[in-house]
Amino acid sequence: MADSGDHKARQEMLDLWRVYRTTKEMCRDRGYNVLPEECNISFDDFARKFGTESGQIARGQMNFSTIPSEDMVRKYTPPATPKVPHPEPAIGTLWVEFNADENIGMKNLREFITHLQNGSYYSGIMIVVKPLSGMAMRGIRGAQQLSGGSGPKGGIEVFLEQDLKINITKHELVPTHLLLSTEEKAQLLKRYRLKETQLPRIQVTDPVAKYYGLRRGQVVKIIRKSETAGRYASYRWAI
Amino acid sequence: MPPKSILKKTPAATSTQGQAAVAANAPPPARAVNQRHLSTAVHHARIYEQRKQAETAILDAVFELMDFPTSPDADPTRPSPSDAHRFRQAIVPFQPSDYDGLIEERNIADKCGYTLCPRPKGKAPSAAKKHFVETSKGVQIVDRKKLEMWCSDDCARRALFVKVQLNEEPAWLRQGDFGTEIELMVDNTEDHHKALPLRLKKAAAPAPKDTEEEDAAAAWAARDDALADLAIERGETPGRLSKVNKDLITDKIKERVARFQPTPPSLPPGQSHMAIEGHVPKSAREAERKDSDDEDDEQDWDKALPG
Repeated sequence: MADSGDHKARQEMLDLWRVYRTTKEMCRDRGYNVLPEECNISFDDFARKFGTESGQIARGQMNFSTIPSEDMVRKYTPPATPKVPHPEPAIGTLWVEFNADENIGMKNLREFITHLQNGSYYSGIMIVVKPLSGMAMRGIRGAQQLSGGSGPKGGIEVFLEQDLKINITKHELVPTHLLLSTEEKAQLLKRYRLKETQLPRIQVTDPVAKYYGLRRGQVVKIIRKSETAGRYASYRWAI
Repeated sequence: MPPKSILKKTPAATSTQGQAAVAANAPPPARAVNQRHLSTAVHHARIYEQRKQAETAILDAVFELMDFPTSPDADPTRPSPSDAHRFRQAIVPFQPSDYDGLIEERNIADKCGYTLCPRPKGKAPSAAKKHFVETSKGVQIVDRKKLEMWCSDDCARRALFVKVQLNEEPAWLRQGDFGTEIELMVDNTEDHHKALPLRLKKAAAPAPKDTEEEDAAAAWAARDDALADLAIERGETPGRLSKVNKDLITDKIKERVARFQPTPPSLPPGQSHMAIEGHVPKSAREAERKDSDDEDDEQDWDKALPG
């Protein structure tokens, strides 16, 4: 009996180690400042850092915040216009929380939003064990308007632990996705004489789009391997 | 040497290169705004905006109602008028599914599903996912979640009493003000009606206990409503006799009184029943002759008649 309990705890630790690494990689791929050691943390280190003496995992200690790199800030800053000579970058500090609760409803969501507000975080990621209640899901969609328009500006994203056990972008069938900045997008549209509505599209609920945290209206460059051309680039408009 | 462009060059391109390159690559010029298209777009944008507002209102209401009732020692059977009023107001834009969401949220917060009940939710006998429950229809298997929804059967009844009154149509599609009154199942009815400024006195009367009486009263009320509607439709002022009625219908009834015994219709003598305006066709004449050969029924019948 004790053996099976140990086994279960170890399995959970192993799963969470993977989830943690994927989360760090996700932040790194989005452009946040993440140290390479954090992405490649070994299992033993992970267990030492976040495990309790009894072999259980302390999810509360896994929460972390990260700031965007200069590149990312540049990418997310809209171009200056005569009216707005110094535009604010549409990105900021990110708070990542691992939630251990089985049932997550509006109550937890409200606490999460309050925490984001108190820490003046720009956006938040919640990693949960079980899917949120329907109402909470709707609350997240309108998170910016919630509590009188003072919610986190960058919104809240929710991931299931089991979806993060594996980093999907490392799969051989998933091509490279590169987010274009506003200027790059304008250049692209000019070069091909397109309106953005004429581009192929990608849904923001697409797993890869969720991984990169694409927002509506952004354009992503997809580079595939091609037998004839070596590399083939296509562009998709997040919708 | 820079790569040569394969794009078609306009005559202007050769003279002023910088500007022309922009012109050749520029997106197609915007067309003049069609007023009709613009107004359609604005119309649809308004609809979306309205819908977003309705959804936000529902979310805010759920946030607020999650923490109800405001005092921890409130009694679900006799809620405070202010709480009840707020609840009835906030619940109006809800669909039944939204109400289910509210119940779920309250349960997650470990509260009874009925909004005006401060007690914690019920506890199932064990932690098993499914439970056997004895009901009038026999033993049923019920989810633990469902068992733990309410603190008592009474609260369940009160909560579902509200649910059945909710409009199934989404709030942003509703038109007019129909069904904006949600009734609560409460014991201190009088307090609540006093607390509501916009209630008519008639409706504030306590509901009759006898169900039969209640049905009859409801039927009469429905009839009155229908008559009032009809009067308005006819362009009459409600509560006054109309002139139109007099012209349309007179209330003088004439009874028809029988003065003598009714007699069955009879043929004039010598007239065949096959005759068409006095003329008897040939075929009929032959058939008649045969008939009269066989039996003399017709004549017997004639004789038997009194006159």
